[in-house]
Formats: sequence, C-alpha cells, structure tokens
Amino acid sequence: MSDPRTGSGEVRVFADYQRDFTEVADVVVVGSGPCGAVAAYELAAAGKRVVLLEEGPPFTPADFELEGSLSMARTMREGGLRFTMGTVMPTMQAIALGGGSLVNSAICNRCPDFRFQEWANEADLARTSRKDLEPHYDAIAAFLGIAPTPDAVQGPRNLLFRDGCKQLGYGSEPCPRNVRECRGSGECFTGCRARAKQSMDISYVPAAIQLGARVLTSVRAEELLSNGRRVTGVAGRVVAPFSGAPGPRFRVEAKAVVLAAGVLASPLLLQRSGNLANSSGQVGEQLQFHPGTSVLGVFPDPVDPIFGATQGYQCLHFLRDGFKLETLWAPPGVLAVRMPGMGHQFKQELLDLRFATVFDAIASCHRSRGRVRERGKSLQPSMRWSFHPDDAAILAHAVWVMAEIFFAAGARKIVPGVASHADEMHSIAEAESLRSRPPRARDMVCASTHVFGTARMHGDPRHGVVDEDLKAHDLDNLYVVDTSVFPLSPAVNPMFTGMALARRSALALAERV
Amino acid sequence: MTLPGLIALALLAWAVLRFAAGYGPRDPALRQLSAREYALVCAAADAAFPPGGVIPLSGTQARIPAHADRYLAALPPRNRLLIRLLFVLIEHATLIFPAPGWDGWRRFSALSLVQRMAVLEGWAHSRFLPRRLAFQGLRAVLTMGYFACPAVLRAMGLAPLAIETPVVAADLLYPPIGQPKSSIRFGVADLDRAVPRTPLDPRGPLQPGFEAPPA
Ligand SMILES: Cc1cc2nc3c(=O)[nH]c(=O)nc-3n(C[C@H](O)[C@H](O)[C@H](O)COP(=O)(O)OP(=O)(O)OC[C@H]3O[C@@H](n4cnc5c(N)ncnc54)[C@H](O)[C@@H]3O)c2cc1C
Ligand code: SF4
Repeated sequence: MSDPRTGSGEVRVFADYQRDFTEVADVVVVGSGPCGAVAAYELAAAGKRVVLLEEGPPFTPADFELEGSLSMARTMREGGLRFTMGTVMPTMQAIALGGGSLVNSAICNRCPDFRFQEWANEADLARTSRKDLEPHYDAIAAFLGIAPTPDAVQGPRNLLFRDGCKQLGYGSEPCPRNVRECRGSGECFTGCRARAKQSMDISYVPAAIQLGARVLTSVRAEELLSNGRRVTGVAGRVVAPFSGAPGPRFRVEAKAVVLAAGVLASPLLLQRSGNLANSSGQVGEQLQFHPGTSVLGVFPDPVDPIFGATQGYQCLHFLRDGFKLETLWAPPGVLAVRMPGMGHQFKQELLDLRFATVFDAIASCHRSRGRVRERGKSLQPSMRWSFHPDDAAILAHAVWVMAEIFFAAGARKIVPGVASHADEMHSIAEAESLRSRPPRARDMVCASTHVFGTARMHGDPRHGVVDEDLKAHDLDNLYVVDTSVFPLSPAVNPMFTGMALARRSALALAERV
Repeated sequence: MTLPGLIALALLAWAVLRFAAGYGPRDPALRQLSAREYALVCAAADAAFPPGGVIPLSGTQARIPAHADRYLAALPPRNRLLIRLLFVLIEHATLIFPAPGWDGWRRFSALSLVQRMAVLEGWAHSRFLPRRLAFQGLRAVLTMGYFACPAVLRAMGLAPLAIETPVVAADLLYPPIGQPKSSIRFGVADLDRAVPRTPLDPRGPLQPGFEAPPA
C-alpha cells in the first residue's frame, strides 16, 4: 500500500477532539472490526462518503504488551475479564481499531456448505450458500493475502499436531490465515510485532482512508437516531483510551447506518435506541458461542514453543460431529495458569512448558443459547447462557480426540485441564477415562472468543432482525453487519464468513444509497 | 463497663490487631496497591513461588507485586474492584479458615511461609467450588506476574525473540496511544527500510529487555 495520507480521508485520535462536533456522511459505520472495516472499505470504494466510528484507539507496535494479562487488560473489553452468567464462561471481545482482528490468530476458514444448508433451514434463507458467498470470500482473500500457513513458520509445536493426526488417519491442514510473511513469533494474541498479520487497522482501514473514509477513533456510539422507518444518524461521546472517561459529544448525520459493533454491542445499541429493529423480539436473543477447551501435551524433547505460528495447523475431520481442532499458543503466563501444583512442585511443572504444545477444540453448540441485555446504563452486556449437556458431550469427545492425537504424536504426558479427571495422564491407557467417563460441562475449563446470533438474519421478518442483505427488516436504511447476524455457528472460525457477508451487504447498500 | 463487656472489648481489640493492623508502609513506587494489598500480594507471591528450587527466583524477587500494581492500573474500574475484593478475601479468610499451628488465627500476610503455603493448599483443594475459583483467580494474577519477569522467562527458555518491526503504511497514520498525530515519527522513506522477513531462529537473539545481563 502506498502512503494512505495522499488520499482524501483521515483518521482522528483522542488528542484531536477539543469540543462537540457534527459530521455529515452518506454512510456511518459503527465498529471497525473485520465486518465493519470491510463494509467501510467497499462503501468508500463505491464513492460513498463514509464515516467509520471506533470506540477503541489505534494500537501501534509501541503500544503492544508482550505479557498476557497486561495485553488483555489493554486490548479487551472489561480488561479481558468478561464472562457469561448461567454457565459461567469467560468470553473475550476487543476494543481497538480493527476490533478482534488486532488480537486474533488470523485463521480464515470458509463456512462449509453443509452448515450453510442448516442456516437456510433454520432461518428461511434463499441466497446464502457457500456458492453465493464464494466471490466475496475470494475478493477478501485476494485483498488480505489469505493463504495456508507455510511449513517454514510452523515450528515443531504445530507439526506435532500434523504428525499425530496423520498417525490416526485424521485429515489435517495448515490454517489459512490473513498473514503476509509470518515470522512465526506465536504472538498473534498480543499484536503482531512483525506487522505480518493483516489486521484491519493495517489493511482495510488505511485502504478505506486512502479512498476518502473519515475514521474517528476513541468515539463511542451511544444512540442510533431515527425517524419512522429511517435512521438518520448516530450520536455519542468521545471516550479516553483505557479509562473510558467521557469527553465531548458528537453526532453523525447520514443517509444510512451500518451497525458493526459486534455481537455483544450491536444489540445493546438497538435496545437503548428505542428498541429499534425489534418487531421480531429477536434483538439480543439467540446468543450462541463456540465454547472452546484445550489440552496441553508435554513431549520428551524440547519443542521450543516460542517459535511457530500461533495457530498453524487444524483438523476439519470432525466438523460434522460438531467440533474443530487446532493448535494453539498464547503468552506463556496464560498457559501456565493451567499447570497443576503449588510452590516448588509448580515451579517444576513450569519447566515442562518448553517441552509443551497445546491443542484446542471449538464446538458448534446449537442447543446452548442465551440472551444479552444492557447492564444498567453502561453499554456493557449482561449475558445469560447455558451449556446444554448434549453440547458439552461434543466438547468432551473433542478432549478425548486431542488426547489421542497427543499420544500418537509421542507425548510423554498430557494435562487435560478437566476437574473430574487426573491432573496429568501419562499414556493413552490412562487417558482412556476421558472416553469411558466423559467430562461434564462443569468439569471442563471453557472459554469462547467466537460469538453469534443476537441480531439474526432470517427470511421471515417475524423471526429475525435482518434480511439476507443484512438490512433491518423494520427499517429502510439500517444494516447490521457483524457476526450477530449468523443464525447458527459457522462450524469453523467466524471472521472470514462475517467479512464475506459484510462485503455482500456493503455492495448492496452502495447500490441503494 | 461490665466485666464481660471489657473482655469482649479486649477480644475485639486483639482480633483487630491480628487481622487488620500492623501493616508496613506501602512501596511509594506503586500506583494502585494499598499497604494491605501490597502485604498480601508479597505474602501470596512467595507462597506460590517460594525462593530456591528449579527456578531460583521467588515471587517477590520476580517482582510480582509491581506487576500486580500495573495490572490493577490497566484494568477498568469495575474489574479492578473485583480483584481488590479477591485480595481482601484471601487476606482475611483466615478468620474462618485459620492456618495450621497455635498461631494460625492471623491475617494471611502475617503468617509464616509454611503456614501460607498450607492455607493456599487448602483453598486449592477445597470441596467448595467458589473457594477453588478464588484460589485460581489469585494464582492466575500471581502466575502472570511471575511470567512478566525476564529472568523467569529465560530460565524456562520462553523469553521472546527479537523482532525488528517494519514500518507499514498504517504507521504513517497513527500516533502511540494518547499522543497527538504530530508525534508520528515515520515518513514515506521508512516504508522502504529493509527489515528481515524470514522465519525467526529459535536460537536467535532475545528481545531487548529480555536478554541476560552481562556477567
Ligand atoms: C483472542 C481472539 C482470537 C480469535 N481468533 C480468531 C481466528 O483466528 N479466526 C476467526 O475467524 N475468528 C477469531 N476470533 C473471533 C473474531 O475475531 C471475531 O469473530 C471477529 O472479530 C468479529 O468481527 P466483528 O466485526 O463482528 O466484531 P468485532 O471484531 O468485535 O468488532 C466490533 C468493533 O466495534 C467496536 N465497538 C463496539 N461498540 C462500539 C460503540 N458503541 N461505538 C463505537 N465502536 C464500538 C469495538 O470496539 C470493535 O472494535 C478471535 C477472537 C479473539 C478475541
Ligand atoms: S505468528 Fe507472529 S509473526 Fe506470524 S502473524 Fe502471528 S504474531 Fe505475526
């Protein structure tokens, strides 16, 4: 990309706001995550005057923290300590220019056709198949350089997963990622110091600026303005980075609004704006997750896990059984939390980390649903969600398969992280209890970074919030463009499908505005 | 005052002294931790990571309290409060779950190392889930702090590798957080600066700040 300052757009940061202000645009986009960023770019490319609003600040490499807890406290909402009620499960959403793409591991999978068919059945969809979205996936893949993770940056920790899967006859493959010239630092979760990951803040957002978009960071949309069947803009406040201290007020008047604030923020904005777009009663309902759990394995020889792509390999073999497997690395302190013991024994266990790698599973959990409401007047979500026992059984199956893969790859022990079972298992025979006595939901340490469903797309306005172009059924010029529109899990990592839907929606909107 | 009243008052004063008084001064370099919280974090840090053993540094030698202070400062107010409540709980729960020994009925930070380790073991293996969760929360804060120490990471072979960060087009747009755009120090010429883009060498140099000090 050439110098983005040569275009007609601009970016504003916290220091730029001195007093209340008003902007006028064709389209205002709320949220600069993968979905909002793609929409803003496509609309700017179609010649529309775009204002993109983002509550978080832009992070430069100087702002990255390598240590996990500090990094999460700075880049994640509620300092990374957000969790659901009902079944208590941590869930993480970013607050930064680029949204989740700044801190995610860049895995870009296309949703399989069988799942799109389930979407169609669940939500009366007529033109949302894999074939319908293929051109959008292709365009985004070309723009971001999405490609399989090269062997040269896999490192032993990812390749052991490949070897274990091969031994067992489970197909595996390098993860396709939006990364160019990865150096294998394994640091995707704290921000890519090598500037290899094509997060939105360094890809779609600057490209949109070059095409004329005005990007306002550290501004929080607090209300969608409307008049009858039309939205007229967005009002909100400047907020200081990290502290969230409120500053001047702003208003953006626009011919159309694209709401892309993410699954847990978009429904709250609709609810607090006079329960907008909610004749179906579905805003904030159908909250779904990919609960994830992980198993750590220790090998006889050092694995040197500090080298290797964060999540370099995956296994799609079990998608129809409801789960997907991946390799995983995270800041060592975060991984160490799961090691057993205290005092000197704990220290001894920590030395194992150099010999260790981690696999994780994410599960499609269609029976486990919940809802989100605003907590007071805070714009923070209060989530109630329950892990259905049959869905927990899917994840329990995945834990057993991960144990199998570890021992097939030659692990000398595993740390399954399951409260009802031994802290450590030293052979497949010992691990057999994971199959014969599957862990229950409350026994597994789960977390989720993939969320869907709170403003679902549905062919019938009585049962959903948006149509297949992601336009609100109830309004003529409001679009909800983030993963909240998924009627069900996409079976794989959600970002790429969210972006493909966002692109299709933005092209449709560009025709109309 | 009646005799029973006097005895009750004396007992109360004794309990207050044992559980809520006698804290040393807080480290003036810290921004968030109070004297009480500082004492608790130091005491818990050394119980979780005692001195010596395969990684010689203790929790306090690894500067866990300084990290906890930075962590609290970085958290939003509501979450900061939750962590503070956790600290209060661990510090004073010895009122209900005393440490072993005749002198175990004291605040956590006033216990001996052996007693503190026993208390934490009690939390770790409690049959009461909220107690176990509280222990895991505390241990997570301490462990992250231990891993923030470069010497600890080096001892485990997990210190981050040096990476020369290239300048990309977006770097011409954004200043470091909190600063004005006039502080952006990159220009178009920086985009062409040659920077290694090959896979890292796991035996390569460590990130500045993480290398071993000269012998
Ligand atoms: C640690 C982590 C790892 C992940 N790894 C992967 C992966 O490898 N592959 C994958 O497919 N998915 C991954 N995900 C999930 C993926 O990042 C999300 O699904 C994706 O970011 C969703 O995009 P979005 O645009 O819908 O929402 P978000 O990315 O959440 O973006 C929403 C944006 O809106 C902003 N916003 C919210 N409210 C307001 C407001 N009121 N005013 C202004 N701005 C607002 C937010 O700050 C945020 O920047 C991961 C997520 C996390 C947290
Ligand atoms: S593994 Fe490292 S170099 Fe590769 S994309 Fe992730 S953070 Fe960047």
